[in-house]
Amino acid sequence: MNTDKKELYISRDNFFRMLDVLKNEYEVYIPVKKGEKRFYKKYVDSNDNIVIGEVRAFEPLKAFFTEARESVAKDFSAEIPDKKEKPYAVVGVKACDLKGFKVHDHVFQNHDYNDPFYIRKRQRNLIISADCTFAIDTCFCLALGVNPYPERDFDINLSQMGEGFVVIAGSPKGEAIIEKNAQLFEDAKKEQVAQRAKKRTNVVREVEENIKKNSIPRQESYKDIIKKNYESSLWEDEAKTCVECGACNTICPTCHCFLLYDQKDKDKMERLRIWDSCMIKDFARVAGGANPRSKLWMRLRNRFEKKFDFFPKVADVYACTGCGRCVSACPAKIDIRKVLKRLVKHEK
Amino acid sequence: MNNPYRPIKAVVLEAITETPTIKTIRFKPEEEITFKTGQFVEITIPGVGEAPFTPSSRPSVKDIMEVSVMRVGRVTEKVHELKKDDIIGVRGPFGAGYPLDKFNGKEILVVGGGCGFAPLRSLMYELFDRRKEFKNLFFRGGCKNPKELLYRKEIDGWRQKKDLDLRLTVDVADNQWQDNVGVVTSILDSVDMDYAKGIAVVCGPPIAMKFTTLKLVDMGFKDENIYLSMEKNMSCGIGKCGHCRIGTYYACKDGPVFTYDKIKNFHEIWD
Repeated sequence: MNTDKKELYISRDNFFRMLDVLKNEYEVYIPVKKGEKRFYKKYVDSNDNIVIGEVRAFEPLKAFFTEARESVAKDFSAEIPDKKEKPYAVVGVKACDLKGFKVHDHVFQNHDYNDPFYIRKRQRNLIISADCTFAIDTCFCLALGVNPYPERDFDINLSQMGEGFVVIAGSPKGEAIIEKNAQLFEDAKKEQVAQRAKKRTNVVREVEENIKKNSIPRQESYKDIIKKNYESSLWEDEAKTCVECGACNTICPTCHCFLLYDQKDKDKMERLRIWDSCMIKDFARVAGGANPRSKLWMRLRNRFEKKFDFFPKVADVYACTGCGRCVSACPAKIDIRKVLKRLVKHEK
Repeated sequence: MNNPYRPIKAVVLEAITETPTIKTIRFKPEEEITFKTGQFVEITIPGVGEAPFTPSSRPSVKDIMEVSVMRVGRVTEKVHELKKDDIIGVRGPFGAGYPLDKFNGKEILVVGGGCGFAPLRSLMYELFDRRKEFKNLFFRGGCKNPKELLYRKEIDGWRQKKDLDLRLTVDVADNQWQDNVGVVTSILDSVDMDYAKGIAVVCGPPIAMKFTTLKLVDMGFKDENIYLSMEKNMSCGIGKCGHCRIGTYYACKDGPVFTYDKIKNFHEIWD
């Protein structure tokens, strides 16, 4: 069997056999369905309600790369604290989450300063991604230039095919794993590869329908939308119902801001890095009391400015992946799709 | 790879009361920290938290550093309780600092307000040490009242310098006050130099920075020759935590010193 850059096939049973092997080296996390949602759960065996296809999980992928709460310094020790023995293998990652790497790689490893915690996880973690097998009504990845199937930034990708998957390696690490477990794979049949293309087209069509139904503008029309609407009253209008919970930030696969929080750990000092939210009042407040964004609507505007003005300028990417998580998570029903529509229309 | 979040241990040598609200902490880090004037450090109060300060000491002194700290918040409250032999942490230096080589052969005006004197003292030391490289040197400083005037004795000593033109102002004077009364912009007209070619360095509270900058532009200083120290909520120091963004920059890594032309078109810069 030749594993070189071509489609393979693995049966569902064999796939779980491979995960059982990977468990020795990785802490394997896999999406499990609960009600209508999918949550990452530590993989034990194949008996759970595991869903590899379908759509993105409830939690963003970033949780495996910059943890919600992580120890970054202990006392004055130069050592990098790392309690994790095994890296993560994250299974069933969707394309929208993978786009988040374009932002996070820029922030944590590609510009002036490196972040050793992120880089270590990026080097060691394994990504086994999967095609979406349908879209839910909040999905709009295509508007942000993301297809509903992974094309980059994975080690291995799975496309569900009957009782198994069409598989492709996306990195030397993925190739090596396939090589090591070669007996579990077979070459994919031509019909299976053709079938994959057809399935992908179907999901693309579903997302297209979402975009059409909600008239969501595409990223090609986002140029200068913040500049043009900076003084617009739409910000006040949209922020009216915001309760400042920060869910839109924490759930977002691109949001990266954090807070350094010091605490006493016995007699020693411990520094934690905790996800932060730019929607919270004190985010930009300085010790003297000055706060450039004292009003909620200013912070909502800032959130959009960061996503649709700052990141395209510094990293050539809109910091939105069309995953729709913020739409589902917002208790105030603030809808990024609607805000984008208003911004592009340049409504007063 | 270095851990950028880890503070270096430092021991407090002295805590000097400067004014009713400002103390200077002299400390010695376990590892030598070399900084350029205008760069800042994060000071850790172990188990409490950290806050950003620009050293007020001489950059050429490598083993001992000083920061002058106004008591305004949770961390600075604890900084004010520090005494000799206490242990603190230091991270940094961060940011770009003042590009003194660009000041070469030019006239320089340094304008300070209130606590803004702290980073400027470090700059003045450096300018004094390299005095021959620059033409005329002006210092204009203002604060609320004579009691709040930071480094008062030392600055009075600067008055003896023949190659420094110095004037101070207070909002409210007392009986002994002999210099100007009024906001800092009211003593800028007394600066006799070729504004269009000169360098201006401004550091102070946002409101003072704003009106000083507008005045300097009005006087004829070029935007790219006005150096501003932007006070933002710097935390990580390396452009990752997101707190100190100014337009397309982070104050911590791209600043905290910016020339006015770089930031004048951004919103929220004076807020």
